Amino acid sequence: MLKIAVMIKQVPDSQDISIDPVTKTLNRSMARNVVNPPDVNATEAAIELKSKYGGEITVITMGPPMADSALLELMGRGADNGVLVTDRVFAGADTWPTAFTLASVADYLGGFDVIFCGEETTDSSTGHVGPGIAEFLGYEQATYVHKTEYQDEHFIVERDIEGAEETIKIGKPAVITITLNANEPRNPTLKKKIAAYKKGVRLVTNKELQLDPACIGLKGSPTIVKDMKTVPDPVKNPSKPGIEELDKIVSVLIEKGVVK
Amino acid sequence: MDIKERLGKTKYDVDKSFAHITVDDRICEKCPHHFCVMACPAQCYTMQDGKLSFQYEDCVECGTCSVACDQGSVKWQFPKAGKGVIYKYG
Amino acid sequence: MPDYDAIVVGAGNAGSAAAITMANNGLSVLLVDRSDPPGAKNLSGGVLWGNDLAQILPKWQSEAPLERFIQDKKIGFLTDKSSIIIDFKTKIFEENKVGYTVLRSKFDPWLAKKAREAGATVIPGITVESLAKKDGKIIGVEESGDVITSNVVILAEGINPRLAIEAGLRGPLQDWEVSVGVKEIIKLSPQKIEDRFNLSSTSGLASEYIMGNLQELNVGAFFYTNKDSISLGIVAPMENLRENGITHTYDIIEQFKEHPSIAPLIDGGTVAEYGAHMIPEGGMEMVPKLYGDGYMIVGDAAGFGFSNGLVLQGMNYAFLSGILAGETAVNAKGRNDFTSEALALYRQKLEESYVLKDLKTFKDIRKVTNNKSMYTTYPKMLESILLEMLWERGQPKKKVRDILGSCAADLKMSKLKTATDFYYIYRRM
Repeated sequence: MLKIAVMIKQVPDSQDISIDPVTKTLNRSMARNVVNPPDVNATEAAIELKSKYGGEITVITMGPPMADSALLELMGRGADNGVLVTDRVFAGADTWPTAFTLASVADYLGGFDVIFCGEETTDSSTGHVGPGIAEFLGYEQATYVHKTEYQDEHFIVERDIEGAEETIKIGKPAVITITLNANEPRNPTLKKKIAAYKKGVRLVTNKELQLDPACIGLKGSPTIVKDMKTVPDPVKNPSKPGIEELDKIVSVLIEKGVVK
Repeated sequence: MDIKERLGKTKYDVDKSFAHITVDDRICEKCPHHFCVMACPAQCYTMQDGKLSFQYEDCVECGTCSVACDQGSVKWQFPKAGKGVIYKYG
Repeated sequence: MPDYDAIVVGAGNAGSAAAITMANNGLSVLLVDRSDPPGAKNLSGGVLWGNDLAQILPKWQSEAPLERFIQDKKIGFLTDKSSIIIDFKTKIFEENKVGYTVLRSKFDPWLAKKAREAGATVIPGITVESLAKKDGKIIGVEESGDVITSNVVILAEGINPRLAIEAGLRGPLQDWEVSVGVKEIIKLSPQKIEDRFNLSSTSGLASEYIMGNLQELNVGAFFYTNKDSISLGIVAPMENLRENGITHTYDIIEQFKEHPSIAPLIDGGTVAEYGAHMIPEGGMEMVPKLYGDGYMIVGDAAGFGFSNGLVLQGMNYAFLSGILAGETAVNAKGRNDFTSEALALYRQKLEESYVLKDLKTFKDIRKVTNNKSMYTTYPKMLESILLEMLWERGQPKKKVRDILGSCAADLKMSKLKTATDFYYIYRRM
């Protein structure tokens, strides 16, 4: 019986976000909220692990009250429990207090054998939170993983590294971050979704966690955004290489014997 | 405005592992009218080199082709798990 | 013991109205929708008349995400170069705000939320695969190999009712039963909309046209203002498309947008969304058996729509049929009887309401809407009459009677045919 957690985030659907041409800020007013896509892969990895080795899966998110729908969605796919960490004092957190808070929640829930995370979120793309949780908890960690097996109290994982793939063995407890498209997530079923909605999610606030206000939320965030710049869409930029240049590149590659 | 460009404005979450509409090429080959090509508002049905070509990715799930096809070729199901077209306005 | 008193398939207007009605009366209700959130696969012509919605949600006007109340209603004909419009603008609409433009992707989630607040279990993003049957009775729904049971299933699947067809509760849709609606959302700033159409920040315009500029096609078109966009589109009867279709449905809407009277109205706007949806057109003849052991059919799935080329309605019938099916289920629960005999009350309630009364009163309307002259000849005739009357060309003036005669002759219409056409239109509308 493995005690499994999945740390997930509800994000605005990246397809729905546009950049306001005048103010240069992100326009997310029309955006639908979805589960951060690699987090769905992380949940699938947890479900696959559970179905092979047995266990109980708890999906955890820190966010506003409406984020419960993301947890229910994943419970509909096969996670057993949902925990929503929600409190005004957590608002405005960058990756440091987010990792700290989630690690504290994992600890508060008695710790886990393995914590899965998505490799990164589509709305900030840092990839900090998974490793951060591992560091705060003192767990072993493996990032950018697309395959996980469990053997003799160890996890054997396949990682994507630049230009190659590596298989490593890590001890338990561990944090494993899963890549986007690592697997093909199963669909939720009606029966599981009904069960999820009946069960609901557990709410955890800072009343229970008792974390130091200086270490959480906006106050606990060391990141300061100094400036934001937009870059022109490369596809629509006529000064970038077009088809003619592509032909040139191909002929150079043939010349050098790289391609035939 | 070209239909492909207009379809590009509409949002989809395409289910790559499940085609909710399938057509039977053997039936389409003998179809006397290919009315689906005229009727489908999403240009999922086109004639290419005298043969009917079908793709479900741009489908807006209106069901028109299920009525337009009177030859028994079109098999129509709804996509699963909320996949397919996602209207932002509706 | 079944899992639920009632399972409603489809969280559109009919389904959510049924769920709210039942949940308000203490029934355990499961409302399932294939889209997440509900409404994200829905498309409407545009105008919601809310008299029936007020029965279950009296504060809908202040709470629902509505676009603009209809203050200005236009109906008219388009010919190649002209438009002939009746512009009906009345203080009465302003004093009784019941007609609103809506965008279903915003409206439907709100209505489904109301069903959840009333106590229904609302499950989005799940496609029910089939109806579960036992001894010829509908006993629930099936999905991923699981059966969820209920005393009654209310089918609110919409105009493409796959479950009802698959279970043999209605036949496959026929050409004469449906039209193809093709719609676009054109983004336009509220300022431009209000200036261009002479509207306030809350009032709106709803126009319906008969397109007399298409060869051999009986196509209607619509044009509605939202807060910061325009909903426009065309409605093409499938039967007529098949007979005469030489144009792709996706090109017909372009012809509407490019018409000299329409193009300036959307000038400066950008297309934000394109979509299509079928519309029930078959009237009373397409209405299936509306109930049976363990089931009822509501809204578009039951064919409840009204269209005469100039008026297009369905959302009001959806609300009311949903409410009446909900009331019937509440009654059946009270008697613990969900047999066909008990659910016959639904049909009786519909008969007493304007839903079936309208469909019966206008049972011959298709003979008008299918009358090619309505789309090809009469718009041109009107144009000729107006040109004769209103255009000074330095020629002797004619009496209206003579204009009519010569126009009819030009368009190869006999006086008798014209007279009988008008007689029938008068009788059937």
